[in-house]
Amino acid sequence: MDINAIRTRLLALLRQIAPDIEPQSIEPQRAFRDQFDFDSMDALHFAAAVSEAFGLEIPERDYPSLTSLEGAARFVQSRLSAGA
Amino acid sequence: MRVEFRLPSLGADMESATLTEWLKQPGEPIHRGEAIATVETTKGLIDLEAYEDGTISEFVAAPGARLMVGAVMAHLELEGAARAPELSAQPPSAPAPPLEAPPPAAAAVTAPEAARVRLSPAARRRAHELGIAPETLAHAAAPGAIVHLQDIESLAAARPAAPGEARAAMRQAIGAAMARAKREIPHYYLGHTLDFGPARAWLAQHNAQLAVGERLIEAVLILKAVALAAARLEGFNGYWRDGRFERSAAVHVGAAIAVRGGGLVAPALLDAHAKDLAALMREFSALVTRARAGHLRSGEFTSATITVTSLGADGVDVLYPIINPPQVAIIGAGAIRDAPWVIEGRMEVRPLITLALAADHRVTDGRLGGRFLRSIAALLADPQSL
Repeated sequence: MDINAIRTRLLALLRQIAPDIEPQSIEPQRAFRDQFDFDSMDALHFAAAVSEAFGLEIPERDYPSLTSLEGAARFVQSRLSAGA
Repeated sequence: MRVEFRLPSLGADMESATLTEWLKQPGEPIHRGEAIATVETTKGLIDLEAYEDGTISEFVAAPGARLMVGAVMAHLELEGAARAPELSAQPPSAPAPPLEAPPPAAAAVTAPEAARVRLSPAARRRAHELGIAPETLAHAAAPGAIVHLQDIESLAAARPAAPGEARAAMRQAIGAAMARAKREIPHYYLGHTLDFGPARAWLAQHNAQLAVGERLIEAVLILKAVALAAARLEGFNGYWRDGRFERSAAVHVGAAIAVRGGGLVAPALLDAHAKDLAALMREFSALVTRARAGHLRSGEFTSATITVTSLGADGVDVLYPIINPPQVAIIGAGAIRDAPWVIEGRMEVRPLITLALAADHRVTDGRLGGRFLRSIAALLADPQSL
């Protein structure tokens, strides 16, 4: 899957969890926690949404890869290509 | 039996609310716990629930009416013994009149266009989420026409992100409630630091076997430990009312939830002491989602018997909380941080957490408060017991 397509899908998931986020204001490299006051519940909701949307197993040790948009996109891409 | 359905107090910081819509019609059956009306408060839209089975006989308040706490909203015909819900604040003995008379149904069409703005329920909800005051929407639709969701969306797209008026109102409400708490409640404060290592290790092992959506977070262990300790030790779980402490057998833990962009709500996890961690996690997760969307239920506001508050992973070492009246205790959980800790004479780096208790001196004193904190610590040191 193309990384831009992954980013677009991740953005949609992010908007489901935090509808008050404006997509154009997102800084891809910056942690969600710093940008949107993400807490552990938001992080879990995001991990669950990513896991379901892309059909990936995400153990807790991989949570740090999901803390920013860019990090999450790269993580999903590498996991998808590893599984392919 | 015919009874009056009054606007309940949904917290010490609430004086009035605006009736947004009736969710049931006269004659339609209503069931205990079912939402029958939605009101708008500074905490967002809240569903008011029926406290007994029955039917609505007639409406007294019309959508759009601003009502004082205790104002009669409708007459109900109830099947059970008629009584107000035990856990909500008692309404004043004299029925309070509505602050503003609700406009007659047809008035909006004939009134001058600057008069009340009519919104569809979805539009009202969205406007609230965006922090747009309904009064400012006079030009969003043709005079006399109803403002629909798409009108709000196009308005929101056109205007720059403005600081929400709803947020300012929430800040004011929090200020009023906390000023009252500090004025009336003789707080005392205690802190206790503990090794969160055993809880964290147990959690990692537990979560490793589960799909992401079923995993627990650390906060749930703390909520459960506080609930169990509060159920065991008298003096921290219940209300201060009419000059005395009323103990509650059930522990409804209020979970302080930050609203993105500022503000705070503390709806309750009902019967938290009696629920297993998985059930508590599911409810907490749903509660956070609904709290942030600005849509909670009346029962969740009226019933917390004790509160837990935390600033999360980004927080500070100690959080000294303020009691949420009429409750008599609150636990502030600091951020978990790695720090030196002495175990059997050796120094080790462990994940530490400091719990702070604020409690009401009219009900307990420091000795009992210390036992309460130690009892929470003991539960967290033995996570199997949760």
